Amino acid sequence: MNSTLQDRRSAREGTRPSPMPAPVARWPRASAATLGIPLAYLAVTAFGTWWIDIRPEALAAGFGDIARLLERMVPPTTGPLPDLLALALETLWIAIAGTGLATLASVFLAAAASRRYTGPRAIQWLARTIIIVTRAVPSLIFAILFVRIFGLGPLAGGLAIAFHSVGMIGKMMADVFEEQDPAPREAIAAVGASRTQNFVSTTLTRALPALASLVLYRLDINIRASAVLGLVGAGGIGVALQTAIGSLNYQRAAGIIAVIVAMLLVLELVSYLVQRAVAEHAGEHTQSQLFRAGRQPASPGWDRARITRTAGAVAAVALFLYSLGQLALNPARLGQAWDNALALLSGFVPPVFTADVALGIFESVIMALTATSFGVAAGLVIAVLSTGHLVRFEPLAVGLRGIVVVLRGIPDIIYALVFVAALGLGPFAGFLALSLSCTALASKFFTDSLQNVDPAPLRALEATGANRLQVFVSGVWPQFVPSFIGNSLFTSDLALRESAVLGIVGAGGIGFLLDESVATLHYQQTAGILIGLIVVVVALESVARWARRKVI
Amino acid sequence: MTATTRRRQVPEPRPMATAPSTGMAETAPPSVVLNGLGMSFSGKHVLRDVDMEVRPGQFVALVGPSGAGKSTLLRLINGSHRPTQGSVSVLGVNPAMCSRKDLQLLRTRVGFVFQQFGLVGRLSALENVLMGALGSLKLPRYGISTYPIALRERAVANLERVGLLDERFQRCDTLSGGQQQRVAIARTLMQEAEIVLADEPVASLDPSASLSVLRTLKKLSAEDGFTVVCSLHQVDLALQISDRVVAVRGGSLIMDTPTAEASEEAIRAIYQQAKDDRS
Repeated sequence: MNSTLQDRRSAREGTRPSPMPAPVARWPRASAATLGIPLAYLAVTAFGTWWIDIRPEALAAGFGDIARLLERMVPPTTGPLPDLLALALETLWIAIAGTGLATLASVFLAAAASRRYTGPRAIQWLARTIIIVTRAVPSLIFAILFVRIFGLGPLAGGLAIAFHSVGMIGKMMADVFEEQDPAPREAIAAVGASRTQNFVSTTLTRALPALASLVLYRLDINIRASAVLGLVGAGGIGVALQTAIGSLNYQRAAGIIAVIVAMLLVLELVSYLVQRAVAEHAGEHTQSQLFRAGRQPASPGWDRARITRTAGAVAAVALFLYSLGQLALNPARLGQAWDNALALLSGFVPPVFTADVALGIFESVIMALTATSFGVAAGLVIAVLSTGHLVRFEPLAVGLRGIVVVLRGIPDIIYALVFVAALGLGPFAGFLALSLSCTALASKFFTDSLQNVDPAPLRALEATGANRLQVFVSGVWPQFVPSFIGNSLFTSDLALRESAVLGIVGAGGIGFLLDESVATLHYQQTAGILIGLIVVVVALESVARWARRKVI
Repeated sequence: MTATTRRRQVPEPRPMATAPSTGMAETAPPSVVLNGLGMSFSGKHVLRDVDMEVRPGQFVALVGPSGAGKSTLLRLINGSHRPTQGSVSVLGVNPAMCSRKDLQLLRTRVGFVFQQFGLVGRLSALENVLMGALGSLKLPRYGISTYPIALRERAVANLERVGLLDERFQRCDTLSGGQQQRVAIARTLMQEAEIVLADEPVASLDPSASLSVLRTLKKLSAEDGFTVVCSLHQVDLALQISDRVVAVRGGSLIMDTPTAEASEEAIRAIYQQAKDDRS
């Protein structure tokens, strides 16, 4: 057919038919990255399956042990409820104080780390380093270090949340600053404003809507994180859980877990409602009138929108200040903390990096990547079943989404605690815990993406008479692939940070050695572990970024 | 540069605006002096040997094809770029020799109107206008109420002068292009600038908005007596608005004449020549 067309064209143009063979349809040549990355992931998963010793019979036996443990947890009890509620509130204060502190610090760090920063290079380099390092170290690890410095209690917890969040918020905020149009900044520089004035008037004002949703999103994550800080003595409801499990009081442990899950679900709902209100408020801003005129022509008036906005801002600041007050900060303790910090930091030098440390970090990485593979596969199945592209059965979809919400509500380390209690110490418990959380996370991401595919091509395919499977393969899947890859890599990124701390409760990986090195004052080894962990997290993050760029 | 010379070049405090200028003030020292000015980026000459003086109160239209060096010339006057050859004197100060602080001070006396307005879209027109006074304030400001009441009243008056009193609390990104450029001009008025540099201020506006914006600028310049150097592509507008037409092509100044003596054909020929050179 092709050659005929070519011949006709040649005849029309008065040229001889080309001796070149007609092009034939062939498979597009896949890049090394497109093939290599999934193959590498499969190889790591296969190796991880062998290393962790994941066998069907081990899984079956494990489920039996877990079922027996769950029987011992029934009926759940909570003990004195007021005490538990006080600890739950403490968890909330830790999260709010930590998020608030991180937000304040992040504004300065992000401004200095952004490509738009025009000040000294050394400050920019320092800001970027702080962001990278604090992002790489999970909050539970910061909590271990701060408990050593500040002693047991919520202060260590609040600071741990703040330090880890600084990296997370700072990175995202720097991205927001960099994406802004430089024109207003240039215009205000031209009126003779200082760099700080210019930053506040043009950069910060434009970033505020993004900043508000970023902080609310982070607060949501931090509440979950602060619920388990008590496992290492950094305050909150996790303290009660640790005590219950330590004393083998599984019924009380189950009651506490139920309270934690209920609290997280309620707060997630509140956070969702606040985020929705903020988004609607941002929508209000697209109306032409921003303020009503006040009594004087140069003063804005007080209308309902302005009162709500101001009241919201005042309430947020008051809540932050109150939560800071709940961190039990006192000057005498700070003096002692300074000495402890100096002892810890001087103890870091020189860092010691042993074979055990390398093995621990390696195990954490293997656990994370293997669990991601299993979680992504399971999450994909759940997402496909709950979005109705292939199977349209609403009760199944609703049921699956409900299960995912509950699964996501439980922090990884609580899964790990339960699996360690049922199956014993080791990476198998950690792998199962991570697999569950990766499944919940991946299915959430995938469900969102599958719901947001463009329906127009699907309708066009249906109109050609294609069946549901054909529509899914040809219409849905190609649209979904970029988000599938991006979210899978993001899930593995989060899993790696989590797997680094599961060892604290004996679920394999480097966490156990880290906790032990701090408890036994082997700070040189602590430093070695931290450096190793930061290097590995940053390296894997770079690989993920490279892979995302190559494959998507 | 020594500390002494730097101190000597610190801009003087701006004198209060006196009687409006009625045209060229031949006896007063020039607002802008360019002396053998040249600029090159990565070895490529963008401007060469430009000599020019601008008298206080003049409205100078800077015309020439795209890439002729008009924007670079304005940015050299404003101190955003440092010349690679020759010198610039703005209100008796060489911006290229200023420290960052001194440049900030100089910029409070030199307004700049941009083609893309440079407004913060999600803020009200009034707050954007108030930002023009930041150079005279010490601390950062956020929100209309954080500015002194006297400045707020002046900002409202300036918005009234550009015909946008009723839109003062309107979000800037909901205003039309012409209205946004008027807000930008009102912001410049807050500086009580002695010179206003305008870099193709009507390039993204329709013809009627263009004429209206330029007439506003001309009226304000006549009332307040500030000097305007305005780069333009529209030859007809340049001839309608300005006192003097300066043409640039290929980085060189090729025409400098009072508007009354300028011929539209001669200016159009400059654009045609550039077009021919390119093709």
